[in-house]
Amino acid sequence: MQNTIKPSGFKIFTNRVVTYFRKPQNAILLVLGILLTVSTVAPMISILKDSVSVHVGSVDSHYTGLTEGYTTYNWVDLFTGRMAKINLWIPLWNSVLLSIFACIGSIAYGGTFAYLVTRTNLKFKKYLSSIFIFPYIMPQWTLAVVWQNMFNSRAVTKTADGLFASVFGIAMPDWWCTGMFPSAVVLALHYAPFAYILIGGIFRNMDANLEEAATILNTPRWKTFLRITLPLVKPAILSTILLVFSSAMGSYPVPHYLKLTTLCTKYVEMGAKRAGQASILAIIMIFIGFIIFFINQRTTSGRKSFTTVTGKSGQSSEVNLGKIGKYAIAILFILLTLFTGIVPIITFAVETFLPNPGDYSFLTKGIAGNMTTKWWLTAENITESGLYGQMGLLYNSTIWNAFKGTLIVAFACSFFAGTIGTLTGYSVSKNRHSKWAAYVNNMAFLPYLMPSLAVGVAFFIFGSSAGIFNTYFLLILAGTIKYIPFASRSSLNSMLQLSNEIEEAAVIQNIPWHKRMFNIIIPIQKSSIISGYMLPFMTAIRELTLFMLLCSQTKIITTLLDYFDEMGLYAFSSGINLILIVFILICNMLLNKLTGASLDKGIGGD
Amino acid sequence: MKKFLAIILSLAMMLSLVSFTAFAEDIESIIQQAEQMTNEELYKKAIEESNGQILYGIGNSSRGKTAGASFVEKLKSIDPNYTGTIEWSQPKNNSIFTTLNADIKSAQHIYSMTLIQDGNQIQSKMVNTGNLLNFIPLDWKNAEGVDVEGAGNPLTLQTLNKVFMVNNTDGTAINNAWEFVAEGSAPLFMGVNSELVGKNFLYMLTHEKYANYMKAAFDALSDDQKAYFQPIVDEVSADADALGLTAENAAYSLAWIKLWCEQYTEDTDDGPICATLVSKSAAGQSGLLVYSKLRSIEESAESSVNNVVISAYQDDYVGIGGYGYRHYLQVVKTAPLPWTACAFISYMVTEKEGFAAWGKDMGGYSPNPAVMQDHSQDGFVDGVDTFPAKNDRGYEWWVAEDGGQLVIEDPEYCSMVSFDLGDWIDMIVGNK
Repeated sequence: MQNTIKPSGFKIFTNRVVTYFRKPQNAILLVLGILLTVSTVAPMISILKDSVSVHVGSVDSHYTGLTEGYTTYNWVDLFTGRMAKINLWIPLWNSVLLSIFACIGSIAYGGTFAYLVTRTNLKFKKYLSSIFIFPYIMPQWTLAVVWQNMFNSRAVTKTADGLFASVFGIAMPDWWCTGMFPSAVVLALHYAPFAYILIGGIFRNMDANLEEAATILNTPRWKTFLRITLPLVKPAILSTILLVFSSAMGSYPVPHYLKLTTLCTKYVEMGAKRAGQASILAIIMIFIGFIIFFINQRTTSGRKSFTTVTGKSGQSSEVNLGKIGKYAIAILFILLTLFTGIVPIITFAVETFLPNPGDYSFLTKGIAGNMTTKWWLTAENITESGLYGQMGLLYNSTIWNAFKGTLIVAFACSFFAGTIGTLTGYSVSKNRHSKWAAYVNNMAFLPYLMPSLAVGVAFFIFGSSAGIFNTYFLLILAGTIKYIPFASRSSLNSMLQLSNEIEEAAVIQNIPWHKRMFNIIIPIQKSSIISGYMLPFMTAIRELTLFMLLCSQTKIITTLLDYFDEMGLYAFSSGINLILIVFILICNMLLNKLTGASLDKGIGGD
Repeated sequence: MKKFLAIILSLAMMLSLVSFTAFAEDIESIIQQAEQMTNEELYKKAIEESNGQILYGIGNSSRGKTAGASFVEKLKSIDPNYTGTIEWSQPKNNSIFTTLNADIKSAQHIYSMTLIQDGNQIQSKMVNTGNLLNFIPLDWKNAEGVDVEGAGNPLTLQTLNKVFMVNNTDGTAINNAWEFVAEGSAPLFMGVNSELVGKNFLYMLTHEKYANYMKAAFDALSDDQKAYFQPIVDEVSADADALGLTAENAAYSLAWIKLWCEQYTEDTDDGPICATLVSKSAAGQSGLLVYSKLRSIEESAESSVNNVVISAYQDDYVGIGGYGYRHYLQVVKTAPLPWTACAFISYMVTEKEGFAAWGKDMGGYSPNPAVMQDHSQDGFVDGVDTFPAKNDRGYEWWVAEDGGQLVIEDPEYCSMVSFDLGDWIDMIVGNK
């Protein structure tokens, strides 16, 4: 008689677990799943709690008579009270419109540019590609300040004349100077490079076989574009919409400077007397983000997975713009980027030599002597030198300490967010049909749906209770969580295009995971992965909204820059902007030299 | 298990409550002792307590950093081995209250003292809750000319004034406070919700004393001007009753507030407002801004201090000349270094070097005359009165009824009227 040995249930279970975790992507998913759940859900709970908490000195306490505990007063009053229209409905309407316009503008401008650079024989690609990303390098509100300096006028905005009014005597209308139009334009210009990077990355990596097949079959170019090219970049366009919509909705400084009331500006305004209701505004922003997110999920749920990067060689074909067209369109973009990239830098530079902020008398009166180097070279702040108690840029330890602080935060955020995001993208792409992978992917993306200000508040509450307020640790923590989506989206988009066959060939050869990553996956998807590190880095360097509640104004360069802008000390803020731009360009150049990649080169800058 | 958890949680809560209360009581008792000490004694206590440590201060004025460095030097002059430092932070916008409250609630307290503005919120969020504790230094109390009752609780570091200025390069003359809200006028001003002391100014206008000023200025208007403003006064008089305002002439103030809120041109700070106002292209423009901003204007072909006049300095001007708000010094009830906090506060309000960071400029007035610097001839260059607008006439002149008629912030009054009147103002600003 033959005896059958039955393995114990425990043994089977442990074997299954061990087998499951032998795949690195599964282990990564489990760890990231737990980490991301805690770090994204906790802030949401804290905001929800705050919306029903009693705040002493606020309306909820005053009108309910409570000094502690919970109340529904804030919800009832915000939606139905006498201030509902002013505190909720108008800001909400403006926020939604602003986000829509910013999406349309950035995708139209950035997407068109991406197509022209990657898929056509446009001239001056290298120059244009580099200059196009300038608005994204600069803190977003600096373009708003430049806008004010250009178009304000005594006749319309009741301020001193800006450059346009001083030099040409033209007073632009009010709708042009303040409110929705300039806010939408500035945000669209700011996020257009973002669309360019995301959409351009796909355009560049796209195998042209499908398009060539269509060409061979005599399909018209427009039909090829609509039926083949556009569907292939649809995931990138949707990612861009998601990111730009949420970012625009969570933008505080641009509408603040250009005087548009949005949920964000209202959030800051209401903090003093209606703190709980301000939290509800944050919840509404998150809720809108969720709606967009689910729309995206529905739209892409039926989408096929396009493997466009295979082991076979693929060359993308260039569309011929014609002999004149390739120059004419290039010149048009050179002019456009002149105003979005070069003019702001020139005005920043000039501003640091003006005797008083906005005093262009050297230009309007033609007196060269009305320029000064005091904003750079003043080495003391005892005597009154017209610097409002500050030392010159080169000697101002506050500025350089803040710059050092920003570097610490940006490098750390870039490293952690880039690594976690890349691993998320890789693991999710390897388990694309797993529900857990989908969950981790969603959790990694959720922080982006939360407006920066709301995340800032949540981390502020957390940081204060943990005794880490005003520390680099808190800034890095908040930055990492917020920027993971940059890397995870960029990584996932590219990993989904990567055929499994490539890695499987190495698995058959028993090549260890880390070698597969460093020798196969990363080199192939270098440009997307580097984008995943560079985007958090660049965003952290010029981030304000997320960090402004987490530290003092002198801790990092953007809070200090905003301080100088608010104080009207444009020479300092312009000087800091110049330092930031030069620094990022040097980083990009070094990266290019060392790894052969750069933020724009991966797309079309080469 | 559930019972066990409940017991543990209750014990933890009780323990934290007890330790929290004990903390506050300790600090209060230290403050009581400190109030009996001279500066010398306080400095010794501070050296003992904070040698090798960092005192964290938080304030609405960045100059606290300069004062902190000066204080550390003072302690070093007493004990050369002293190695303590002061870390000063200036949080953004209104977040100083949130930051302080969060610090007080946290397990690990950071801040020992604060230099804080906005009497309304200080009263409702900090004083009424006991989160900030007042400390009156002995040397300050005994100093000659100090109004202990008026400036002692909360302890005032200084009163800053924001004054009406007019760019008169095109001959514009504004002779009455009501003309700032005349048809077509759009004075430059920081948004009432971006700097809340501006809103406190509007609250204070409804106080009996200042409502009477407004009425007196109204009476001095021409008949045509009165005919323009009277319907607005009539329109809001019902609101004055609904808002519970008791001043007889509150309707005049409300009318002025309504027009002001509808018409002012908002800017982010007094710095850009000043830079705009002194430029030639702003001819005819007016503004309500911090007086001391004039100090940093560099004369050029486009900008000059002489392009503006201080309204209240004009002989035929009638009405309020601006408003005054205060910087208060307080000890945090969970201060890790309370003795040093008290010593630092005392240093700032009693010693000339302690107040020098603020005292060097016009427009800032300490309640202690001993630390004040004279700015009555700041506009003189080589003995010649070159920039009359810079000659500060001093606190007494500014607050006098026959002088600058400065509207001074009263925390209690502001906190009393702020909720309903605040919404009334927000409705006007929101519907602009």
